[in-house]
Amino acid sequence: MKVSLRWLADYVDLPTSDPDEIARALDDLGHEVEGIERLAPSFEGVLVGRVETVEAHPDADKVRLTTVDTGDGPTDVVCGAWNFEAGAIVPVARPGAVLMDGSFPITERAIRGVTSNGMICSAKELGLGEDADGIMVLDDGFEVGTDFADHLEMPDAVIDLSITPNRPDAMSMIGIARELAAHFGIDWRMPDTSPMPGDGTSALTIEIDDDRCPRFTGREVRGVEMGPSPLWMQLRLERAGVRAISNVVDVSNYVMLELGQPTHAFDFDRVAGARIVVRSGHEGEKLTTLDGVERLLGPEDIVVADDEHGSSLGGTMGGEDSEVSTSTTNVLVEVASWDPPTILRQSRRHALRSEASARYERGVDVAMPIPANHRMVRLLAETAGGAPVGELVVTETVPFVPATIRLPLSLVERTLGVALPAEEIIDHLTPLGVEATATDDEVVAVQPSWRPDLTRPIDLVEEVARLRGYATFESSTPSGAGGGLSTEQVRERRLRAALTGLGLSEAKTFSFHGHGALDALGLDADDPRQSAIEVRNPLREEESLLRTTLLPGLLDAARFNVAHGVGDVALFEIGRVFLDEEAPEFGTVPEQPAVLGFVLVGASGSSGVGSNRRPVDAFSGVGLVRALAASIGMGAVGVESIDQRPLHPGRGARVLRDDGLEFGVVGELHPKAARAWGLPGRVVVGELTVAPMLQDPGMWLFVEPSLQPHADFDLAFVLPDSVSAAAVVEAIAAVDGATESVVPFDLYRGPGVRDGQHSLAVRIRLRAADRTLTSDEVAEMRDRCIESVRQLGGTLRGAE
Amino acid sequence: MDPRLETLRTQAPGLVDDADSLEALDAVEQQVVGRASPIAEIRRGLGQLPAEERPIVGRAVKEVADEIAVLVDRRRSVLEDEAETALLAADAVDLTVPMDERATGTHHLITSTIDEIVDIFVGLGYRVADGPEVETGWYNFDALNTPADHPARAESDTLYVDFGEPEDEMLLRTQTSPMQARYMQDHDPPVHVVVPGRVFRNETLDATHSPVFHQVEGLAVDTDITFGDLKGTLEHFAREFFGPSTGTRFRPHFFPFTEPSAEVDVTCFGCDGSGCKVCGGPGWVEVLGCGMVDPAVFDAVGYDSAGVTGFAFGMGVERMAMARHGLTHIRHLWENDLRVLGQFR
Repeated sequence: MKVSLRWLADYVDLPTSDPDEIARALDDLGHEVEGIERLAPSFEGVLVGRVETVEAHPDADKVRLTTVDTGDGPTDVVCGAWNFEAGAIVPVARPGAVLMDGSFPITERAIRGVTSNGMICSAKELGLGEDADGIMVLDDGFEVGTDFADHLEMPDAVIDLSITPNRPDAMSMIGIARELAAHFGIDWRMPDTSPMPGDGTSALTIEIDDDRCPRFTGREVRGVEMGPSPLWMQLRLERAGVRAISNVVDVSNYVMLELGQPTHAFDFDRVAGARIVVRSGHEGEKLTTLDGVERLLGPEDIVVADDEHGSSLGGTMGGEDSEVSTSTTNVLVEVASWDPPTILRQSRRHALRSEASARYERGVDVAMPIPANHRMVRLLAETAGGAPVGELVVTETVPFVPATIRLPLSLVERTLGVALPAEEIIDHLTPLGVEATATDDEVVAVQPSWRPDLTRPIDLVEEVARLRGYATFESSTPSGAGGGLSTEQVRERRLRAALTGLGLSEAKTFSFHGHGALDALGLDADDPRQSAIEVRNPLREEESLLRTTLLPGLLDAARFNVAHGVGDVALFEIGRVFLDEEAPEFGTVPEQPAVLGFVLVGASGSSGVGSNRRPVDAFSGVGLVRALAASIGMGAVGVESIDQRPLHPGRGARVLRDDGLEFGVVGELHPKAARAWGLPGRVVVGELTVAPMLQDPGMWLFVEPSLQPHADFDLAFVLPDSVSAAAVVEAIAAVDGATESVVPFDLYRGPGVRDGQHSLAVRIRLRAADRTLTSDEVAEMRDRCIESVRQLGGTLRGAE
Repeated sequence: MDPRLETLRTQAPGLVDDADSLEALDAVEQQVVGRASPIAEIRRGLGQLPAEERPIVGRAVKEVADEIAVLVDRRRSVLEDEAETALLAADAVDLTVPMDERATGTHHLITSTIDEIVDIFVGLGYRVADGPEVETGWYNFDALNTPADHPARAESDTLYVDFGEPEDEMLLRTQTSPMQARYMQDHDPPVHVVVPGRVFRNETLDATHSPVFHQVEGLAVDTDITFGDLKGTLEHFAREFFGPSTGTRFRPHFFPFTEPSAEVDVTCFGCDGSGCKVCGGPGWVEVLGCGMVDPAVFDAVGYDSAGVTGFAFGMGVERMAMARHGLTHIRHLWENDLRVLGQFR
């Protein structure tokens, strides 16, 4: 809502003319100011004048000598323009006036021997356009001697307000006037909405067959002369953001902006049978609206029809057939009330939002149709020369019953924290048009017809707070009942800290992907990630599915970085994925577990001159998961090879918590998928379910480290490739004895080891808690370790 | 005293001091106290001396030998220090050369901003909750006093998903506010909770809008929560988050699930109120929406609206983070450009 302060002055005399101060008041009232536009003429002291005489200049060909009256009698003005003659009404800058933003003061001066007492101005000289060829010739409506700036409705300031949807009443000049009057504690006034007597009787009849139209008023106005509306009206409309079209249309828009009540003008001669019927749309009925679109109607729609066919879409937009045109002479002024939800649905169904529907769907003052109709008739008479016929025809199906609200004083105190006396509450409510009286412990209030938002006690509490001013309530700070992060929340932060410490940066990606992303991953047909929940109304294909995996987003991010010259990428994201499982019962949301995904591209390890950076591979991923687990005290991570897309068939693994629970997969991306994202080298990805990692691991107990000496020995085994390093470590660790650690340190394939076999060397450290181990004990443990691995099919290298 | 000892005693300091390397010192040591030295000779001859002279000569030899040992040790220590100093000098490196550089990652700006916001409320005794992103229409709208035909429920505003029965009206939550209802259903008052999370709107990405963004919701419910408590709490938050001199302005506003409702502006942290690019001139930056919980919400979740009052607030994480750090386009938060992520701290 754009509010011209000059226009607003018709309804309220504000105690200040400072736009900033008025804007502050509107902000404090809850009408958010989005901007202030200040409008000032580029000139000062320009008056409307009439050219009395025009004569040739005695000593010059290019200029003429005129006498101009600006209200104090004729005075000589020399003028170089030729586009006017005596009798023309023109803007005149007399000595003392200043043009062009102060840079062009007008003085009395001699032009070729003749004294010129000022200047007749062109549009360009007044900053009103580029036309400098001739002076501005005004029409006869400009009164001689008046300030020309006044006719341009300047100076002015336009305050752009964002009106909240609960306040349709504030989408009008009088609504804003009422709010400001209440704020400043002053009066405001309505424009003239008194009825104009009509001549004769009108043939107009109005019938309402559908009570989604609670009331409908109509009046015939004859003898309208179509043409432009007066400049002041055009300027006001323009400042409100509405284009001027013609006097009849402009008056309709003007009344809507002034009173908040949409109105409509029919060409009455096109209303068949001089009869208006408000009814539901017929199935299959067609109506072409003013925007030229043919609409297919149905019973959900509400239509204003004449004897023959529908002529406008109720509360939304007029029809082409009954539109006023240059040849219109008789007008039917329609002002009606409409059921807000009906209009909302109708405008949504037809994707047709108009200034009228925007107001009706929020709720227009139900008492306004009659005064608005009178107002429109008056303005038509004033600006288009029309004369009303007969009486206003009013048909009402549903009378307005205002809500009576009983506001307990205790509710005010409980909500606002201040015990306000009933008198103060009433003082705040009355200027808003709320009729309120006090009882012992309540204020009983009657809802104004223009306030659909005031129906409950709490609604009045808000009004009291608003008018008293939010700033008047003293601040206090209660503290919570003891809070803090949960174990899971603390562990999630530690997990993130560990990830960043391990060199990964946190990414954020959208929760969507397209079908193509799942195809590019090459997931197996029965992979649950294949069945994604569809977004019903996506704006783009890439947003058509809810993500079932974080990998597409992370791979997109990796690609973006590689494309921008960042070759080593290490990114993670913790976010929800969405699984399309059957909803177990009504109203149950799908499972949406939090997942940790990561992607590594390029090399890892410390960097620098001559450094030994290692290209990432599946081992980097496994190592990362182990380090993460260690950082949050998860214990040992089990690793089991799997062949599952999107992973490389031989370089992927599931990872298991120490209690055997699988919590994710990690490995190298299948080369096909890596190619689909255009990523070079081996690409490492992992996806871990977060919940098992964040779960409280329970209390842990201290283990006293042994101070006894240790004994280390190395064993190298030749093993079939089917035996994993983990199995070897496990077999050795299972040997009963003082084993402290078993760490593989060398892996060999090649000469000396047969195909299908490999050699694995492990370092075994023994240490007893209470004594030094004897060399016999160490030798015995060595033998038992060898025997244990032999059970797996391994032989001591060099002993085969 | 044996003249050989006398000579040794006078000559030894000079010899030791003249040794200019550890090797030379070893040779001097051999010369003055080694097997072929006069000291060794005298010691070897002790047996031939008369018994009464032996202790006298023995003491004299030991005295001289000890003196020399001290000199040698002192000289050796000096020479060792010199040798090590030379070694270390040769071992010097240019430490400006990157050689063993460790990469660390960064937390995303959205995460660190959420943590920062959340921690302020944790300090006030709030708990932190998390809720589903795919949500039902009931929680996202109905429970929050938003009628069935409210414009926000239109497909042009809200993203709907195909899941469950059509009547389920399954959607991507448009706000973190549905967690108000879920939390109150699961917890009796008093309630003090903040809920950070992702929210969704049917919008295309532009400089300031994204179909996915983040909010932090807050809710406090007790028997005696007032509008003053709301103001005080958020003023405290603004000072903690934006700086101790931050001013706050509460403007009436409309939200379906709070009444009275307010939007909160803070004095611009870019210019302290005099007008700049961050605030666009007026010196105020709008940062959050809030209000007293509407009784209809209490009724919807089964709280006794006659017995409790409460306040709720919600703030956009991206908006605050971008304004504070001067990000020019919201895409910088979603592209995951490591050159951008590396700036986050």
